[in-house]
Amino acid sequence: MKLNKSQIQDLYAFTRKHFVEYYDLQTELVDHLANDIENMWTENPKLCFEDARDKAFKKFGIFGFMEPIEQKQKAMGKRYRKYLWQELKQWFRIPQIVITISIFFILYISFSSEYAESFSVILYVLAATYSGYKAFKLNRYYKKRQDVSGKKWLLEEIIFRQASATGLVLLSQMYSTVHLSNGALTNPYLLLVACTLFTVLILVSYISFELIPNKAEDLLKETYPEFIV
Amino acid sequence: MYICFMSNSKLYKGSLTTIILKLLNENDKMYGYEITQKVKVLTKGELNITEGALYPALHKLEAEGLLDVEVAKVDNRLRKYYKLTENGTKETVNKLEELAEYIKTMQALVNPKLA
Repeated sequence: MKLNKSQIQDLYAFTRKHFVEYYDLQTELVDHLANDIENMWTENPKLCFEDARDKAFKKFGIFGFMEPIEQKQKAMGKRYRKYLWQELKQWFRIPQIVITISIFFILYISFSSEYAESFSVILYVLAATYSGYKAFKLNRYYKKRQDVSGKKWLLEEIIFRQASATGLVLLSQMYSTVHLSNGALTNPYLLLVACTLFTVLILVSYISFELIPNKAEDLLKETYPEFIV
Repeated sequence: MYICFMSNSKLYKGSLTTIILKLLNENDKMYGYEITQKVKVLTKGELNITEGALYPALHKLEAEGLLDVEVAKVDNRLRKYYKLTENGTKETVNKLEELAEYIKTMQALVNPKLA
């Protein structure tokens, strides 16, 4: 005896109820539960669907679907960082390295000038405005995509929402600079480290706010080729 | 946290990856439920891979580039199949060699006459 379409939909709802939000993982777990239910029916055809479903779920242990969810999040986080790293590496190659060096020198000259304090405040305000605006726009775009597709993909969520987190890291570090610029950056080594760090942070923000979201479609196709119809 | 995937012995803990790779090496492509059933049949019910440990292991291997996936429609639903990548095939050889070495070492320790 095989499960019908309505029972399959019930299993999708069941996985959502147990905190599996992402479609690829839902699909895999639905098939697993369905196989187990059908297997139980070969031995006991009178077993009702709901009881068989609950029995199959119990085999996942006391943590239910939590282990697969956590591992999937770890694996996808790793994949996102790989994409980020691939993009970042480009900025240390010709011709982009010219821009990277320019950012570094602009920061270095500004932080070592007598206007360091004003510069850091201006930089902080600009970064805060840009990050806030981009995070808001990406989040809105992500919601629109959700409404259209009706399915959640983990990588998609990371691309459109993780960017906001990267922006916050940049902002918190920039805030420290506002304080550091009050004399602390007179140490030349500290100044070099700070300028290098901020150059990388600016690049990472640009990559996660602009480059990766612009490539989202290609990255999603690369990550979920099996779901392309 | 890594839960014990065998209900009957902690000795098997740590071999899940090798078991999955070995099965995929012999079967071209398999889906999750099929793997659990295959292990049960091959070991005559001696080993039981729990679902809560199987999928994290499969997703980890996929993220490491050792497994490739494909989806096919089967009986009203989608089924995700796993198969070895080129790196996965190489890693299977390494893992099996490691396991053989481990067995040899343990044999030498517990039964020196046979070693």
